[in-house]
Amino acid sequence: MSHGYQAVGWSPFKKRYDLVLGGLLAGYLALFSLATLLLRPEITAETLLIRAFGTAALLLLHAVLAIGPLARLDGRFLPLLYNRRHLGVTMFLAALVHGALATFQFHALGDAPPLVSLLASNTRLDSLSQFPFQQLGLAALLILFLMAATSHDFWLAQLTAPVWKALHMGVYLAYALIVAHVALGALQDERSPLLAGALGAGVVAIAGLHLAAGRREAALDRERRAAGADGFVEVCGVDEIAEGRARVVTLGGERVAVFRYEGRLSALSNVCRHQNGPLGEGRIVDGCVTCPWHGYQYLPASGASPPPFSERVPTFRVRVVDRRVFVDPRPLPAGTPVAPAVVSESGGGG
Amino acid sequence: MTPLDVATWIVRLAGAYAAAGLLFALLFLFVLRGVDRIDPSARAGSRGFRWIVLPGVAALWPLLLRRWLAGASEPPEESNAHRRAAAGGRG
Ligand code: FES
Repeated sequence: MSHGYQAVGWSPFKKRYDLVLGGLLAGYLALFSLATLLLRPEITAETLLIRAFGTAALLLLHAVLAIGPLARLDGRFLPLLYNRRHLGVTMFLAALVHGALATFQFHALGDAPPLVSLLASNTRLDSLSQFPFQQLGLAALLILFLMAATSHDFWLAQLTAPVWKALHMGVYLAYALIVAHVALGALQDERSPLLAGALGAGVVAIAGLHLAAGRREAALDRERRAAGADGFVEVCGVDEIAEGRARVVTLGGERVAVFRYEGRLSALSNVCRHQNGPLGEGRIVDGCVTCPWHGYQYLPASGASPPPFSERVPTFRVRVVDRRVFVDPRPLPAGTPVAPAVVSESGGGG
Repeated sequence: MTPLDVATWIVRLAGAYAAAGLLFALLFLFVLRGVDRIDPSARAGSRGFRWIVLPGVAALWPLLLRRWLAGASEPPEESNAHRRAAAGGRG
């Protein structure tokens, strides 16, 4: 199944997502400008724009960082996760406008070229009010650029998923740099405690969400290990998996998707052969597990693509005891047929 | 060297790297189309795809140049825990 790369793989969902995102951003910029003009009528247009885009980027960054743990804590946030790339690219563009305007405002009028002047400014590491906070912002912007520029599937394929993920972990470094950039920059000549309070609350919220999601996953892992008999590991209750959908669990260091369909259960590696898309976030379409990213299909009982295609993913043994689902964490070679576990139809106890 | 000298050199080097990257990206994506060689999905790709990956190609050009010169015809295959275990001949 080869398909050509598109600039953006549009779907009605993504269009709506982007429309809402664009609307929220425009609304925020307008509101922020209005409020600032009312409170500080003396502000210059440049400063207003620098602040509007800077705070917009900061808010978007918090949204980007919150979505991951939110989706892990509550499946209802998952749809937000699907299009996080567009959120990330939008955030980078807002940050870029902020950085470009600030560089222009503070460095365009001297003798040195603006970027040189920026790099050579405020080099006092021992002073809070003269700390090189602009360089911190520039470093963060470079990281965000690399992430935005590599957000296309082409890069996921060229870099491979582990490298791509590692690169995109850079968002946490960028976040730290940006928090320092705001704390040592804008907060130094801000009299009202509003911005400092909001920034602090943001940091606490992001850290708290990550801790909560991590603790919850660790607890689930412990439960599963405790329940294991003859190598099979308890995964969840039958009724926790919706018809035509999957439940994703981490076994043997990788994710496994357990699908429920037509009264049966089958488990496959969660990693699509195409570009490592998350199969467990896809659905059963025409009897096949269908990858949510580009639609590659696999037969649930064998992990093999229906002919004429030849992609295969590893499969896992599944069984149901007392309406609880157990999976053998040892992967079978890709494409190995496994008899699906049968779910008794009587919705009650088994 | 004063901070200004250091800054001047950093900006010059970064500028040279980016200029080389931009030139490479144009050749790689539009003129010589090396991208079609190293990734089959690019062959049928749209024009928009080429523009949208351009900034990244200009930034990470040494990686793609190396793969192009080495005659790669497919994106690299990654290994993960399941594929290793399933292929590793477990009884
Ligand atoms: S990753 Fe492309 S179809 Fe699954």
